[in-house]
Amino acid sequence: MNLYHPHLMRIDEITDETPDTRTLKLSFQEPELRDGFQFSAGQFGEYSVFGEGESTFCIASAPTRKGYIECCFRGVGKVTQAMRRLGVGDTLGFRGPYGNTFPIDRMRGHSVVFVAGGIALPPVRCVIWNVLDLRSEFKDVSIIYGAKTVSDLVYKRELAEWASRPDVKLWQTVDPGGQTPGWKGEVGLIPKIVEKAAPSGEDAFAVVCGPPVMIKYTLPVLSKLGFADDHIYTTLENRMKCGLGKCGRCNIGPVYVCKDGPVFTLAQIKQLPPEF
Amino acid sequence: MTSTIVSDADLTALVARLVAAGTRTIAPAATPYDPRRTEYRAIQRFEEATLGGPLPRRSLKEFFLPPSEVLLRYRQNKGGVDVEEVPTTFPPQVILGARPCDAAGVETLDRVMGWGTRDELWFGRREATTVVSLACPGADSTCFCSAVGLGPDATRGADALLVPLGRASVQPSSEVAKRLREAVDAFLSHAQSNADGAAGIGDASAPHPATGVAYLARALTPKGEVLLAGAGKPLAAPEDVELAEAFARSARERVAQNVAAFSLAPEGRPQLETRLGLAAADGGELLDATLLSSEQRTGVALLPEWLARNFDHELWKTLALRCHGCGACTAVCSTCHCFDIVDEHDSYGAGVRRRNWDFCQSAKFTAHASGHNPRKSQTERFRQRVMHKFSIYPRRFDAILCTGCGRCARACGAGMNLPEILGRLVQLARTEPAGSNA
Repeated sequence: MNLYHPHLMRIDEITDETPDTRTLKLSFQEPELRDGFQFSAGQFGEYSVFGEGESTFCIASAPTRKGYIECCFRGVGKVTQAMRRLGVGDTLGFRGPYGNTFPIDRMRGHSVVFVAGGIALPPVRCVIWNVLDLRSEFKDVSIIYGAKTVSDLVYKRELAEWASRPDVKLWQTVDPGGQTPGWKGEVGLIPKIVEKAAPSGEDAFAVVCGPPVMIKYTLPVLSKLGFADDHIYTTLENRMKCGLGKCGRCNIGPVYVCKDGPVFTLAQIKQLPPEF
Repeated sequence: MTSTIVSDADLTALVARLVAAGTRTIAPAATPYDPRRTEYRAIQRFEEATLGGPLPRRSLKEFFLPPSEVLLRYRQNKGGVDVEEVPTTFPPQVILGARPCDAAGVETLDRVMGWGTRDELWFGRREATTVVSLACPGADSTCFCSAVGLGPDATRGADALLVPLGRASVQPSSEVAKRLREAVDAFLSHAQSNADGAAGIGDASAPHPATGVAYLARALTPKGEVLLAGAGKPLAAPEDVELAEAFARSARERVAQNVAAFSLAPEGRPQLETRLGLAAADGGELLDATLLSSEQRTGVALLPEWLARNFDHELWKTLALRCHGCGACTAVCSTCHCFDIVDEHDSYGAGVRRRNWDFCQSAKFTAHASGHNPRKSQTERFRQRVMHKFSIYPRRFDAILCTGCGRCARACGAGMNLPEILGRLVQLARTEPAGSNA
C-alpha cells in the first residue's frame, strides 16, 4: 500500500453545528483500526471524498475517546461541499494521523486556558476533552470561546455541558450585533473578553486558535497576563496536499506545517516569516 | 570500482542486449517535433541516442516522478467504495547518457522523498533504475553546475559515469590513445557546434558522431558494475585517465567561464580541478564535495544563511516583476518536485486519484478555500522558489535544490535568469556577511 492510500471510514453520525458547519463521526472499516487507531491531540488527517479529492482537517475528537474520530468542517470548497452531500453509512477516505501534537504531558499539573474563535474550536476541543477526560491531573481549566453571531457558535451542546461543570470556567462571547434576545453570554471581541476573564498566566498554559486577526490581538493580552511565549500554543493551517512533507506546499519559511507543526508555540511563531 | 574503456560499438551492443531483454532504455534523443532538440526518451537502438547533442529539454525527474501518476483506482458501489492499490515495484529501466546535473537532481530529491515517510512510488522507480551519466560535453552559456557544487563530471546520483576520452591539448602517449583522441575530437567538435547555437537549442539533427568514440567508463555502484560488466574491456591505463581528465578539464573550463560571468565563482578557489584523478584504476572516492562544508562557504554556499536573514530584503520587490507565474521554470527544473493530488471521476462511479506536477509560482498554489492566500503576489511566490532552493532545502537536507542545469533561464518567456539573479544575491551576501547589521 503506498503512502497516499487512504483507509476507508464509515460515516456513523452527522451533526449540523451551524448552518454551514458540520461534524462527521467516523469509524474505520478495517476492524483492527476501529479499536487500534492511535493519535494525539493536535494531529490532522487528509479526508477524501472519492471523485472529489482530499481535504485537510484536524481530528476534532479527543484521543481519550476510542472507537471513532470526528471532523468538523465548513462547506466552502469542492471537497467540503461534497462531504456535505454524504449521508450516514457513506464512505470517506482518511489518511493520518499526521503532524505533531499538543504537549499534554507538559501541561499536566498546570492550569490550562483555551481561547478559540469561530470554527477554530474543533482543534482546541480535541485538547479540551483530552484534558477534561483526565481532569484530576490538571489545575484550573478555563475556556474562552467566541464567534461572530450566536448561530456561528459550534458544539453548542458541549458548550452547555462545559458551562454546567463546576470544574470548568467558560466564557462565551459573540461580536457586537451578533447576540440574540435571550443571549446570556458576553458581547465583545475575544481579546476584550480574555482581558476581562483575566486568567492568570502563572503556572499555566494557553491554547489559542482562531482567525489571524483574533490571534494577533489576543496574544499581547495573554503576554500581559503573564503567559510566557513558550507556554502559548496554537495550530497553524496552510494549504496541504500530501501531509507528509513531500508536496512542497505548506511551508512557512523553513518550517513545514505538516511535519514540524501544526502545533507551534508563540515563541516559535515569532521566528517565522509572516507567510501564513 | 573498476574502470573500463567502452566504445560506441560496445554501447550499441549494450542497448541491443537491454532492449532484447525488455528493459526500457532511456537516452537523450532528437525530439519528434524538432530534430534539433533532444529529450530523454525510450530508445530501441543506440543509433537513436544523441549523446553529444544539446541539453535535453526536460530533466530526468519525470522518470521517477511522472507529470501525472495514478495513486489509486476506486469504484463506487451500493455498499461503499472499492479501492484498488497501484503497484510500487517497477520493471527495470536504464538511463544511458544522463547529464550529471540531471542525475544529481534525482539524488537531491531522494532526501525529501525519504524524509520521515518513504515515498514508495519514487523509491520503487529509483531502485529499478540504473543511471549512466555522460560527462557533459556541451555546456552552453546558461550552465552553472560548478557554482552549486557539481560539475560536468559530477557523479552524484549516477551508477556509472562515462567520460569521452581526450582533447587536443593532451599529448597521446600511446597509439591507442592517439586513435581515440582523433575519434573524440570529431565527437567534440560536433558537441561544440551544438552548444554554440542559441542557448540550449543546438542541432541534434547533425549526423551521429563517428563510430569509434570511446569513453572511460567507471562503475560507481554495484548496479553500475552489473550493467557495465558485459560492455567494454578493462583497460584503464594511466594515459586513458589522463585523456578523460583532459576532457573533464576543458568541460569545466566552459562552465567556469559562465560561473565567473554570473559572479558566482567561489573566490580564491581554482575552478578547473577534476575529480577523476582521485579515482585512477584502483578506484578512489568519487563523491562530490558538498559545497556546504564550512571551509567552502563562498559563492552560492553563502546563500542559505543570508537568505534566511533577508526574507524582507528590498530586492524581492523588483526581482519578480517580470515573472508571469507560468511555471515553465518549475516544469523543466531538475529538482522542482511540488505536486497536487486530485481525483478524476468518470461518469460510471469509478475513477482515479492522481498526483500531478504543480508549481509554486501559481497564485492558487497556496490559496485557502476561504480566499485567504499566504503568498498573494508574484514577489512572494518567486521569493519562495529561491528560498526553497537555496536556503530552506540546503538547511534541512544538506543539499542545494538546484543542479545548475540552467533550464529555468532557457525556458523563461520573460527572460528571468536565475544564475544572474543568484549572482546578485551572492554579491549582496558577500557584502553583508553574517553578523553584519544589513
